[in-house]
Amino acid sequence: RFLSEYGGGTAGRLKALDAFLLYVLLTGALQFGYCLGVGTFPFNSFLSGFISAVGSFILGVCLRIQINPQNKGEFQGISPERAFADFLFANTILHLVVINFVG
Amino acid sequence: QVAISNETRELLLAAVSEDSSVTQIFHAVGALSGFGLPLASQEALSALTARLSKEENVLATIQALETASYLSQQADLSSIVEEIEDLVARLDDLGGVYLQFEEGIETTALFVAAAYKLSDHVGTEPAIKEDQVIQLMNAIFSKKNFETLSEAFSVARAAGALSQNRFHLPVIVVPDGPAAVSHHQPVLRLQVTNVMSQLLTQVSVKLDQAKSVSSKATVLQQLPFTLSGDFFELNFMSVKPASGYYDFSISVDGDKRFIANKVELKVKVSTEVGIINVDLSTVDKDQSIAPKTTRVAYPAKAKGSFTADSHQNFALSFQLIDVNSGAELIPHQTFVRLHNQKTGQEVVFVAEPDSKNVYKFELDTSERKTEFDSASGTYTLYLIIGDATLENPILWNVADVVITFPEEDAPSTVQSKNLFVPKPEIQHLFREPEKRPPTVVSNTFTALVLSPLLLLLILWFKIGANISNFSFSPSTIVFHMGHAAMLGLMYVYWTQLNMFQTLKYLAILGGITFLAGNRMLAQKAVKR
Repeated sequence: RFLSEYGGGTAGRLKALDAFLLYVLLTGALQFGYCLGVGTFPFNSFLSGFISAVGSFILGVCLRIQINPQNKGEFQGISPERAFADFLFANTILHLVVINFVG
Repeated sequence: QVAISNETRELLLAAVSEDSSVTQIFHAVGALSGFGLPLASQEALSALTARLSKEENVLATIQALETASYLSQQADLSSIVEEIEDLVARLDDLGGVYLQFEEGIETTALFVAAAYKLSDHVGTEPAIKEDQVIQLMNAIFSKKNFETLSEAFSVARAAGALSQNRFHLPVIVVPDGPAAVSHHQPVLRLQVTNVMSQLLTQVSVKLDQAKSVSSKATVLQQLPFTLSGDFFELNFMSVKPASGYYDFSISVDGDKRFIANKVELKVKVSTEVGIINVDLSTVDKDQSIAPKTTRVAYPAKAKGSFTADSHQNFALSFQLIDVNSGAELIPHQTFVRLHNQKTGQEVVFVAEPDSKNVYKFELDTSERKTEFDSASGTYTLYLIIGDATLENPILWNVADVVITFPEEDAPSTVQSKNLFVPKPEIQHLFREPEKRPPTVVSNTFTALVLSPLLLLLILWFKIGANISNFSFSPSTIVFHMGHAAMLGLMYVYWTQLNMFQTLKYLAILGGITFLAGNRMLAQKAVKR
């Protein structure tokens, strides 16, 4: 029932974003599982990759909340374009730090 | 005869003014006084005082003192004389032993010479206390070699000033040879001199008291020394002191000007030691057999040899006495040395006195086998007695001792402990690299991690995400190119650049991308 409601009620853009979020989640989980299995060497690389996944997931969720037309009332001054631009900017900074740390 | 022309005289007189430096005034006044030319002392004094308030350094003040000693006593020289006290206050006290100016020994010596010269001239005792004079002397006469002639000159002047002035005459008391007496040399001889090492014989030298350092008892009091030739003598052995060290307090009198005339001297009394009641015995461990004792007299060697093994201990006892007085002695060094005749090993023990001052030494083979390395054999036993106050240290071959250690501990060969052979080499253990999973595992994982990407593309295709709305306006193209370039920059950063370079490029690319993106999104918003 949830799936049918989701398929019908959600805009295409949001579904594309959701797919992206699922991808990031899986990638992060796989990284974590690998670390548990094989060991933490090199620790900085693991941290960098994991934080990249987690950070991207969080930024994606923020974007989704801001784009969703059902939430328009709460984000009066921020257009979807502006939200997207913010998403890109924050991602740039996040990945700058991640690349610095990956070693 | 030296004739002084009028011009020279005028030149010298003109130099004595406020406009010349203190050194120039000093030289001019000295020259005028030396030539016997008339000099207005009061004017010279006022020029000097005015000049001194401008030049406040130590050397100028010392030269002012010297200058004042040429001026007539009719002038009021008290202001210059007060400078002596100010200068004394400027001396540095080094460890309570030395007193000198920070400018050095030469300045200090010049000060002493100038201060006493002026004080003699004026007739006032210089404001320098007795212990300050002693500390000044310690500093000035501390060196025997001088680097410059001027330094040597200043020290010689100071020595001359201290040996001939009206107020303070330091006295030096020097013992003849080491300050030691014994039965062969019972007389303590002292020489009394002034700073220039000239003998002072018109003085009386008295021993205030002599105290033993160890027992703190006063052995002698209030005894005069007798003058014999150039030396003052005292027969200390006449009171039959015990051997050891004594603190002598000596005072020299004869002139009111004497200072540093109370001296402390450490005198050593030596004697000869004798060893008596030397008993060598083998003591049965079970105490079932009575110990066999042999008495030996120094310097003979005991006949026969003694044994020490698992059943018997070897024991030695003796007493040490002062040959001259018969009193018991406890010297600093009482050693028993055992020397292995075959291997050259030697082991040294200390013999300790008991409560009755009888020295005892016992050798138990089971207790002492580590010192001997369990090497059995015949050992020669020596007795070593020594002390700073003994004139006859003793090394006496007393006996031979056959020492047997239990068989199982004996080493096959006794190695001499040579400290200077190469030691075993140390292998450096390099840091082990971290454990890594096999390449197969990590490659598999890499493929696994990329699989969600595949899933994402499939999902997007299913949802129907497309780029059909892609408009080819310049800002769009620039935006996408700029964004791609930024991603490429991230890769290059990972492989090559550092943070600063990356930030530089990122600022440029980011700026372009931002502007283009802004335009693009604005167009998109308008379309909507």
